[in-house]
Amino acid sequence: MSKYHGIIFAYSDAPELGDLTRERTVASLPFCGRYRLIDFALSSMKNAGITDVGVIMARDYQSLLDHIGSGKDWDMSRRSGGLRMLPPFGLPHAHSGNYGGTMEALNAVASYIHDITADHIVLMLGSLLANIDLRDVIAQHETGGAEITAICSDGPAVGLNHHYLLDENGFVKDIHLYQGDDPKALKSLEGYIIHKDVLLRMMEETAARNHYAFHKHAIMGFLADGGKMDVYRHKGYVCAIRTVEQYYKASMDMLVAENRREIFPTSRPVRTKLHEEVSSYFGETAVSRNSLVADNCIIDGEIENCIVFSGCRIGKGTKLKNSIIMRGVTIGENAKLNYLIADKYARFSDGMELTGNAKLPTVVPKGTSI
Amino acid sequence: MKKSCIAMLLAGGQGSRLYALTQNVAKPSVPFGGKYRIIDFPLSNCANSGIDTVGVLTQYRPLQLNSYIGTGQPWDLDVSDGGVYILPPYQSAGEKGSWFSGTANAIYQNMAFIESYNPENVLILSGDHIYKMDYADMLREHLAHDAACTISVLQVSMEEATRFGIMNVGESGYVCEFEEKPKHPKSDLASMGVYIFNWEKLRAYLIADENDPNSSKDFGKNIIPAMLNAGEKLWPYRFKGYWRDVGTITSLWDANMDMLSTTLINLYDPAWPISSRSPVCPPTYTGEHAHVVHSIVTEGCEIDGDVENSVLSPTVVIERGAKVLYSVLMPGTVVKAGATVEYAIIGENTVIEAGAVVGTAPDGSEGWGVATCGPNVHVKPGEVIPAGAMVYSEEEV
Repeated sequence: MSKYHGIIFAYSDAPELGDLTRERTVASLPFCGRYRLIDFALSSMKNAGITDVGVIMARDYQSLLDHIGSGKDWDMSRRSGGLRMLPPFGLPHAHSGNYGGTMEALNAVASYIHDITADHIVLMLGSLLANIDLRDVIAQHETGGAEITAICSDGPAVGLNHHYLLDENGFVKDIHLYQGDDPKALKSLEGYIIHKDVLLRMMEETAARNHYAFHKHAIMGFLADGGKMDVYRHKGYVCAIRTVEQYYKASMDMLVAENRREIFPTSRPVRTKLHEEVSSYFGETAVSRNSLVADNCIIDGEIENCIVFSGCRIGKGTKLKNSIIMRGVTIGENAKLNYLIADKYARFSDGMELTGNAKLPTVVPKGTSI
Repeated sequence: MKKSCIAMLLAGGQGSRLYALTQNVAKPSVPFGGKYRIIDFPLSNCANSGIDTVGVLTQYRPLQLNSYIGTGQPWDLDVSDGGVYILPPYQSAGEKGSWFSGTANAIYQNMAFIESYNPENVLILSGDHIYKMDYADMLREHLAHDAACTISVLQVSMEEATRFGIMNVGESGYVCEFEEKPKHPKSDLASMGVYIFNWEKLRAYLIADENDPNSSKDFGKNIIPAMLNAGEKLWPYRFKGYWRDVGTITSLWDANMDMLSTTLINLYDPAWPISSRSPVCPPTYTGEHAHVVHSIVTEGCEIDGDVENSVLSPTVVIERGAKVLYSVLMPGTVVKAGATVEYAIIGENTVIEAGAVVGTAPDGSEGWGVATCGPNVHVKPGEVIPAGAMVYSEEEV
């Protein structure tokens, strides 16, 4: 039995993703040809032997439930333990219909957390694009002498808000909101290994004061009481996706071999829901440059700098550039498309011309037919 | 519950004519058509036809096949009142036990398995055929004609007929004669090696055949002729569509090339999916210098070279300046910069170093053939492997 139990936060919404998350949570946003963002957190846990995992969600979770199913694609469909999807009890939250913060989300599933038999709980964001070696984090947590180990990055900006300040012993002494682009700052990836008793105490204290924020309330309270928090520096590509621009940039970053190796290392494979698929076919007139193409596509046109999800059809004479087309998108013949993010099952007729902008690609909503 | 029909899939053959590819694995688990292994076709056909109980008879090098089939989950055969069962030869109390001595003997040795499902009919399948077929439709004909055995037949040209078991059909429409590889065929209906038997009848013939010391314990050579001689009703089920036996290097290469044509066999039809157990890989990356035309490519590949008229399994790497033409590349093969692979089949995880040449285009000479590298072969820089050659690694896996 693992000493570690996972909790993944999949409740957050991101208004700046617009139509891309109108009918799904950020955690179930399709990414890189065949994945959903939550696959990265689930796979990190699976690859560290953690298969008892709770996924906290609040609303718009149909696509998430459909994607995760019983959890068997991550070996989390277990007779004892395994995956638990944790929707809200009843209709919560007068303010927005969503959790105001991490502590509110945890308190909403307090009975589940109380029943956890493992000593340590691994908290991760369901919307973070990173392949974190949790085995390595756990090794540091077990020797670091702290009650909490926080996962952070000292690389480029990651799209999250907090960074850590350390004392002379290397433990966290303060948390600041991240401003500017200080490359040396220790940027929080909002992933933690935390002793279960510590988490329960934080939950009780924040609930008693009607506090809901993790960093501002729970962690600052923990540090003020003299608690010890260590930091683990994750090396490798990281992006928290909250806006269309971030989504587009992170997707295009996957065209770079080095980024791909960091996100999809062979030693820590990223698992996802398996669809019945067949190989892709590149026709007599196909051209495919600097692009990622998933299975079950038939490509007769020309693609350059594109991410093509499974089940897409690209007709003869079509030129598709700098675009992301999600599962089942069909493009007719002789179309000219540039800087698009076409959501699932969008259809483009013959001769269609549509161009977005490099800074702001045009999002074509799910199922649109133009 | 009595089952109307269960399937027995013969997957024990060595596939000796594929030697380099089947040195360490059974023929049904040889990769095929990019995403698949050969056995995916009969297993998917079963699942799509509503046959949920399949016994897979294994004998030769079953390790990879066993782990590939697993619980049968990729084919939705992990059901509680049936499922897919690996059936190796076994020993009974007080007996020495023996290998399967023929196709009929393999079924004979597993009568207890069949009896445990108490089926009305048994479908006999081969693990080395590429086709999409609705066995439920065949079963309907079998029942409608009250046949003891229904044999799936394919119309072939009269020249080809000399290479097959040929069914001659009488006026009634039933099979009246069976000829194995006839010199002067009287009919163009070739047996596909797919049979549905009434189980009660088959059981009796299997027992009788087992007691005949002169029998070679084979369906085509012994059971079918015995049934014909006894006047049983044998119905020919006329299959129309794509069907290939992939028992030789040439036929395996040919059938892979056929997958490039959706008019021969459409693998993209959502109504009849062929399923497989495949690793989760990121999508294929085609680089700045990639040129990929008229080819099948599977996830996890990294391509920066030229690929034409070829079939690529998952995680194939083709470096810049490498050329892959009219070839079949199995999972994990690597073709390094400047190497050329032409009219070849390359086994799993084989590495072809820079500047090496494997195979050549047909030159009309008699000795020409598809070049074959087995799995885990290391083709050294600049090495030349001629057309028709078969190279393999000496390692036991």
